[in-house]
Amino acid sequence: MNNDIMILAEIISAILCFILVRFMMKPYQYTGESRYIGLPVGFSFLGASYLLTGFALYLETSLFVEDIKWLQLFTQAYAFAFLAATYYFSKQTLKPNTRLWWQIIFSGLAVGAIASYLIVFEPPPLALPSYKTVDEYFRGLNIILIAYISVHTLRSHSSQPDPKTIWIPLGYILLAFGQYSSLIWSLDSSFSAFVGAHIIRLAALLIFLFVAYQAFAASQNETTSNKGS
Amino acid sequence: MKIYGDVLSVIRTEARTGKIILTRIQLKTNVPFDRLKAYLSELEELGLIQNGSSLKLTEKGQQYVVEYEKVIDFMKRMGLIYR
Repeated sequence: MNNDIMILAEIISAILCFILVRFMMKPYQYTGESRYIGLPVGFSFLGASYLLTGFALYLETSLFVEDIKWLQLFTQAYAFAFLAATYYFSKQTLKPNTRLWWQIIFSGLAVGAIASYLIVFEPPPLALPSYKTVDEYFRGLNIILIAYISVHTLRSHSSQPDPKTIWIPLGYILLAFGQYSSLIWSLDSSFSAFVGAHIIRLAALLIFLFVAYQAFAASQNETTSNKGS
Repeated sequence: MKIYGDVLSVIRTEARTGKIILTRIQLKTNVPFDRLKAYLSELEELGLIQNGSSLKLTEKGQQYVVEYEKVIDFMKRMGLIYR
């Protein structure tokens, strides 16, 4: 695939994620509950990870490419970890204990992210495993985290079936398939898996955007037209 | 925050049906009467409701409840449980 098209796909993915952050911020803004901050943080990290991939593709032969790839790896894993933690804590009844646990987990993830970035720029004297091996493990971890979110959202949908709530599990399942395709590509360099990973991921992000649009912009239009009539 | 949104939401629904009765709000929001009175005075201080001869939402309150309901709908669509 042409390098420019790949860079474009990464940039579009990053833009979609950053647009989504604006919507994902609202649950935290309106409820004032810190457990929902993981949603915008997760999508910000996800957008940043796509931007880093695009940057690595753009630089191609630069000395920093390896560092950027490692950064991308950590950033993406933390994105899904933040999202999974948010979904896990959203099902808990809000008690001081739950709040404390959320603060511990959130702080732990934030400290872990900073520590991971330091490792990239200041590697310890111990030999690090090869990037390819770590990449495969991280893809596996990402799939597990997204699978957890998918199950959570599917359960939420099945507890109160509504056609509006089926889109998000579908979006997360597609994100998991995107990661799976990337894993396959990493293992056997299959071109179709690589292209598929990009297409599936873009489809997933577009689903999220569609849901956000339906919830906010579409209902805004309805309100405006009701006022007008 | 949730209880404020819920109380405003119930006031809006009740206003559509006619006169707003406090016991109906109390039943729908499931809060004790004394606490409901405290919430209502806080909402009045925030300029979200008018508690004169009858209870009603201000323009600011209307805007807040519309946005609040959208956010709750979005959270439901996102598969987030809010309780």
